[in-house]
Amino acid sequence: MKRYGLTLTGALAAVTLALTAIFGILITPPDVTQKEYARFLYLHPPMAWVAYLAFGVAALSSILYLWPRTRRAYFDHLALAAVESGVLFTGLVLVTGSMWAEPVWGTYWVWDARLTATALMFVMFLGYLALRRMGGTTEQIARRAAIVALISSINVPLVHFSVLWWNTLHQGPSVLTPGLSSQGVHGAMAWTMLLSFVAFTSLFVWMVGRRIRLEQLRSGVGNDALNDAIAARLAEGDVVEVSA
Amino acid sequence: MTSEVAQPRLAKRHRLRNVSALLVICGAVMFLLVEGISGSLNFYESVGEALHHRSELKESTFRLEGVVLPGSIVATNKGASFTLVEGNKRIDVVNTGTPPQLFQGNIPVVVSGHFTSERGNHFVSNQILVKHSSSYVAAHPDRVKAKDGTVR
Repeated sequence: MKRYGLTLTGALAAVTLALTAIFGILITPPDVTQKEYARFLYLHPPMAWVAYLAFGVAALSSILYLWPRTRRAYFDHLALAAVESGVLFTGLVLVTGSMWAEPVWGTYWVWDARLTATALMFVMFLGYLALRRMGGTTEQIARRAAIVALISSINVPLVHFSVLWWNTLHQGPSVLTPGLSSQGVHGAMAWTMLLSFVAFTSLFVWMVGRRIRLEQLRSGVGNDALNDAIAARLAEGDVVEVSA
Repeated sequence: MTSEVAQPRLAKRHRLRNVSALLVICGAVMFLLVEGISGSLNFYESVGEALHHRSELKESTFRLEGVVLPGSIVATNKGASFTLVEGNKRIDVVNTGTPPQLFQGNIPVVVSGHFTSERGNHFVSNQILVKHSSSYVAAHPDRVKAKDGTVR
């Protein structure tokens, strides 16, 4: 993505997030049952959507990295950037979910299929990030990470469909239902929710774009430093170059 | 002339830290899997399912889900009694403890407890969890703002 495109995405994220906050707090009405607690609707589901999107992007870019014909460092950087954002948003989903659950359900946490699968997804992608720091060559790290990303991304449909496949305390989906119909978020609440999805999605795109740029700069600095070190060692004179 | 290069101490320490982190994460994954599976994938039995499996459930502890029959809630010394329904099936519940804020008639709840006898339909519980729907409706859809800014 061109730099000005990323700047525009960042601006879009800032404006839509601000509008979501204004509409979500000041303009939308309280829900008939949940009253003011329903305002979590503009925070928790869009964050969950971004987590799904992030891990989906990570899985796709990992496939493209593992496929020899499409293997490029860019796809590894994209997967890393997406997973980092995905882990952040999954963490926020767990926190906002607990904050929402306590007054509405009457408990911060239950071990139902949705919550357990989400926690599992969070921990597995944390494992992905830890694995990347285990050492090895850049290619080894990227290949191992791509495999782990693919295995971990199996969790994404499990998390989403868990509320349809099993009896869970967590409610069914308000959007992204099998028939792609909203089950009943009404009026201004629905529009604000849609706005929040645009806001968090553009925030995610901006974060990933910035993170990829950082990773590219880092690997560029790394390569330059390595080349400098090799050149300095060769200049010392008693080193014989060995071709592979 | 070649000589073996000792691994820097810092790199060893980093590797140890990373291996420890990975072990902790693997442990967490195992814990979550065991918790999830032992808690069973189905978090509750609905009123209809519980009555269907009545002979197997006996007096065992499980979670029961149903809609609170409007008008059935009666406050007791230790909590509340009410009736859970699913279609035309119903189970009477006596709960001990404070119900959640949103507990009310005509709302789905999950209660944790057991039947009081091997055959009856009386259930005692010590926890009520509210299971809200995915439907969100404005509390006052007909409310309008007057010209002077007041809400009517």
